[in-house]
Amino acid sequence: MNIPNVLYRNNRILLKELTKTDFKLRYQGSMLGYLWALLRPLMMFAILYVVFAKLLRFGSDIPHYPVYLLTGTVLWSFFTECTSQGIQAIVQRGDLIRKIAFPKYIVVASTTFTALINLAINLAVVVIFALINGVTPSLTWLLVPVFIFELYCLALGISFLFGAINVRFRDIASIWEVLIQALFYAIPIIYPITMVANSSTLAAKIILLNPIAQVIQDVRYNLITTETVTTWNFLESPVAMAVPIVIAGAMLVVGAIYFRKQSKFFAEEI
Amino acid sequence: MKRKIGVRREVRTESENAIEVKNLHKSFRLPTEKAWGLKQAIFNRLRGIKGYKDQKVLKGLDFTIKKGEFIGIVGRNGSGKSTLLKILAGIYYPEKGEVIVNGSLIPFIELGVGFNPELTGRENVYLNGALLGFSNKEMGEMYDDIWKFAELEQFQDQKLKNYSSGMQVRLAFSIAIRARGDILVLDEVLAVGDAAFQQKCNDYFESLKEHGQTIILVTHSMENVRKFCTRAIMIEDGKIVHDGEPEKVAEDYLKLFK
Repeated sequence: MNIPNVLYRNNRILLKELTKTDFKLRYQGSMLGYLWALLRPLMMFAILYVVFAKLLRFGSDIPHYPVYLLTGTVLWSFFTECTSQGIQAIVQRGDLIRKIAFPKYIVVASTTFTALINLAINLAVVVIFALINGVTPSLTWLLVPVFIFELYCLALGISFLFGAINVRFRDIASIWEVLIQALFYAIPIIYPITMVANSSTLAAKIILLNPIAQVIQDVRYNLITTETVTTWNFLESPVAMAVPIVIAGAMLVVGAIYFRKQSKFFAEEI
Repeated sequence: MKRKIGVRREVRTESENAIEVKNLHKSFRLPTEKAWGLKQAIFNRLRGIKGYKDQKVLKGLDFTIKKGEFIGIVGRNGSGKSTLLKILAGIYYPEKGEVIVNGSLIPFIELGVGFNPELTGRENVYLNGALLGFSNKEMGEMYDDIWKFAELEQFQDQKLKNYSSGMQVRLAFSIAIRARGDILVLDEVLAVGDAAFQQKCNDYFESLKEHGQTIILVTHSMENVRKFCTRAIMIEDGKIVHDGEPEKVAEDYLKLFK
């Protein structure tokens, strides 16, 4: 029974079908349908751009700042979508869990896959914007999926851990909503990290140890401009660089183990 | 918060037993006062209240089902029938004891599991099929037959919320009968639908019986027990009180209500 049961045929079928359903349902009943997958981050970007780039004049020292900003918001909305949907997944699919037996991780995986699909669409927009904005394509673009994988591991781990706790204590979903608001400001999405570094180098260093910040900065570095701060070039230590990666990996392992242990009782507790 | 867990194993052997149940126990933790939420949980812990009470539902069941048997499980409401079914199906974990399932088991705790009112009939058919283990391709091959059997062809692309409940059941049933497993577990699913639908259900059960399919049926209908079952088990208060001839078990069951 301990073979990773992703390999079982039935689980693959179910995963695929649930992901499809999830994707369809998310934009069900809206006139623009799937277009919203694109429009949401673009509108969010438009607001941030007007407020921060035009009115507050952030990022005048960063080349291609609009694309830089868009990349940050796209990655951030992927993270929030992935975690908030992932944490709710088990409770929302309670009807299935009470009536048939299947590996519960499929439910979490399917919602996070939907978020991944949305991210892929959004990244295509980012690339188009980048080209229009005059960013030269480079081989470092190929590194982007590696960092997205790291971010996905973190988001999946959080979804497993808090999703499992949320079955018994529904407060978790609400707590996460608030936490994620706080996190938004603790990550250099709208403001350039140099702004923080100018007043406190230590604060900037701590911020860059956050895996989400590290991923966003690394993607910006590899995709848009090498004239940006990353965990690597700011802390200049292999140990420091390992910290965010270890956090993301550990989150996934802890989350998966806890989820696996608790999932036996989901059907009774939902 | 450590909890004991019994054993449930799925095997594939040549043994003539389809299901073996040994000393099966199950209890549920029912929250006593509202222990639902973080605040109450912390409160209860501080005050030394457990926050739940153990409700024993199954108290040591032993039985073996042979391949090809059509078993009826009867008992009054709350006797533990559905809990037993859910443990056999692998939805609940046994608390103590052992359950061995030999071969693939398909449970129908309810018809149309996963049906979503916002999706069209077509989409729901594929989703429901996936829950039964059918790939897109396999569903595609059966697709037309499913709609023909349900007699709902003209509604394929309507959203499910626009179906009447009777239509939904008919569609679900047409998908369900496609399921191929070594053991079928059915919970009261035939207690729905009009007379014509009931007839279809009966025909389906007749054909399953002829083919020597192993079936476990939970029911309150003694008529069905007499007609289809080769053996019946009566459960009362979490224990088996009668296991044997359907005719005799049905008699016993009816005595409960006198």
